[in-house]
Amino acid sequence: MVTSRHWFVALATGSLLAAATACAAPGSDSGSSSSSGPIKIAVVDAQSGQLSSLGAWELKGAKLAVQQVNAKGGIDGRKVKLSVFDDQGDPTTGTSIARKIVSGGYTAMIGTAESAVTQAMNPILKSAKIPSITSGQATAITELGSPYQFLNGPTSATYDNTLEEYLTKTKSFKTFAMITNNGGYGVGEHDAFTAALKASGIEPVVNDVVTPDQKDFSAVLTKIRSKKPDVLFIGTEEVEAGLIAKQARQLGLTAVFAGSAPLSTPVYVQTAGADVADGTLVSTPYLSNDATEASKAFAAAYQKAFGETAELHGAKSYDGTSIFLAALKQTKGKGGLAMADAVRAEKYDGLLGSFDFDDKGVGIHQTVIGVISGGKLGPAS
Amino acid sequence: MQVTLQTLVGGLTLGAIYALVALGFSLVYRTMGLVNFAHGQVAMIGAFTMSTFYMTAKLPFVLAIGIAVVVTAVLGLVIERVLRPLEGKDFDLMLIGTIGFGVMLEALAVVVWGATGRAVPSPLHTAPLSVAGLKIQTYSLLVLVVALVTTAMLVGFLHRTRVGAAMQAVAMDPEAATSVGIHVGRSNAIAFAIGAGLAALAGGLAGPMLYVNATLGSTIGIKGFAAAILGGFGNITGAIVGGLGIGVLDAFAAGRFGGYSDLVVFLLFAVLIMVRPTGIFGERTVNRA
Repeated sequence: MVTSRHWFVALATGSLLAAATACAAPGSDSGSSSSSGPIKIAVVDAQSGQLSSLGAWELKGAKLAVQQVNAKGGIDGRKVKLSVFDDQGDPTTGTSIARKIVSGGYTAMIGTAESAVTQAMNPILKSAKIPSITSGQATAITELGSPYQFLNGPTSATYDNTLEEYLTKTKSFKTFAMITNNGGYGVGEHDAFTAALKASGIEPVVNDVVTPDQKDFSAVLTKIRSKKPDVLFIGTEEVEAGLIAKQARQLGLTAVFAGSAPLSTPVYVQTAGADVADGTLVSTPYLSNDATEASKAFAAAYQKAFGETAELHGAKSYDGTSIFLAALKQTKGKGGLAMADAVRAEKYDGLLGSFDFDDKGVGIHQTVIGVISGGKLGPAS
Repeated sequence: MQVTLQTLVGGLTLGAIYALVALGFSLVYRTMGLVNFAHGQVAMIGAFTMSTFYMTAKLPFVLAIGIAVVVTAVLGLVIERVLRPLEGKDFDLMLIGTIGFGVMLEALAVVVWGATGRAVPSPLHTAPLSVAGLKIQTYSLLVLVVALVTTAMLVGFLHRTRVGAAMQAVAMDPEAATSVGIHVGRSNAIAFAIGAGLAALAGGLAGPMLYVNATLGSTIGIKGFAAAILGGFGNITGAIVGGLGIGVLDAFAAGRFGGYSDLVVFLLFAVLIMVRPTGIFGERTVNRA
């Protein structure tokens, strides 16, 4: 008993000491980035946990952009140094990383891939005037009102409005069923696609919410099958979308699958199986590696650097990082509001299209429709 | 009616996987009084090992699972050997040790197999059976049969073999067992090895149904653990009943409560455990601290 009390006292003293040092830290080694030495940029993404595949892709895109700039002599004679932080896809971990970025003197941040984490980190980065560019697409991010917050792709509303218009106008589909999850991404998709359908006066026959960890969808899919919808909209992350599609076909559901970014990835196609994924309609800003000269060059460099095929998320973070680096060139390595203004002034021709940032931080305002055929994404007719 | 029956089928299929995970949890617990918190991660390592031999080395599915079972059984022996000095001395540290192993295995899997994970194609290519409008996957039937056969074999092993009987003796009273010449350490090692092998069997069979990545362990681990508790922690028959129970409960909650299904499942679980703390089959609580 005595021993455990000793332990407790020691622990309590230790944590008090730690807290005291942490409080003292900002005075000695605080904030603003230095103007000599390498330019420090933080990449914050899930490198472990459920969303680590996204994090891995993003990191590769950012690394490639930085390597290319450093190979050309860096920015204003200074090298760019990329540091990786693992947010585990968890908002709480995100906020503690945000503080590390502030105290570590980072000029800018690339990330995160999760809307919820981005939203959690936003206030800390905003008050420290650190620009960041996220791969999240929740409309809520654009409503945070931070001049330092940018998005490297379209919002859910853009994805889903384009998709809804194609499905109802071009394809003349009449009945829709929806499955979304109640994670950060799924909620955004649920709201955006429901709103898009409503604007056309359509009420989905089934609009069910699942959890991000769910593995068996028999109940909801059997219910949907009995309603015989033309389209099943899937608003979940890659693996879950693949499982839903696979189980839907196993249960004899014949509806066309439709959704946004996650359904364009190889992970979705492999999880569902190529024959099941075929015919899936996807709203995406990045159709294929062969679409333009720029994307061909990017895909070749990506293949050379990492030995794997490039996809949307790597392209998004490559674009975002490149824009940030271009802005830093304008400000000669200076961060803060000067850099944020430079990003807004930047007209950047990227892999996802022509970036033109509005005051909400959104740079890409349109998507195209692709279809999966033979396990590969291509343009839809 | 059709929705209800189809939900039941879906629930039983995943339930069989949870049951196999629960068997391993229970076996180690009844022998050592220890909850192996790395159990889910061992299952994940098993799934990855299976995928390597099945997809990369192109071996038959059954053989790939067999290899995965052997590999993880060795892994189980290693974990047990590292923890053995603490046996009977510091129980809390052993528990924390298993948590540490779990975290380590998950990180190791990302290093070895990458963060993206892989989809495993089903080894059976037959169309689903159609019974009165119900669709039943042949692979699901296979998993259910394997779970039932494994349980029967495990019960047989514990009750009808010398080694099994020795393990039972250790479970009941380690000191008395030692005094009649039973090697407690060896008995624990066997429990850990079989437990890990069962985890690999669960993970390997889950592969073609789900998606193999580093977090597979925590997903099926937590449900498997709940299944073991529900069935009566340490009880072998209880593990399979608990596993199927959790699977079915989960499936119906998902259909009925959508996004709140996890909340409902674990709330109901908490109530069941409050009403019957020893689980359905009420095994005696082992305490070796």
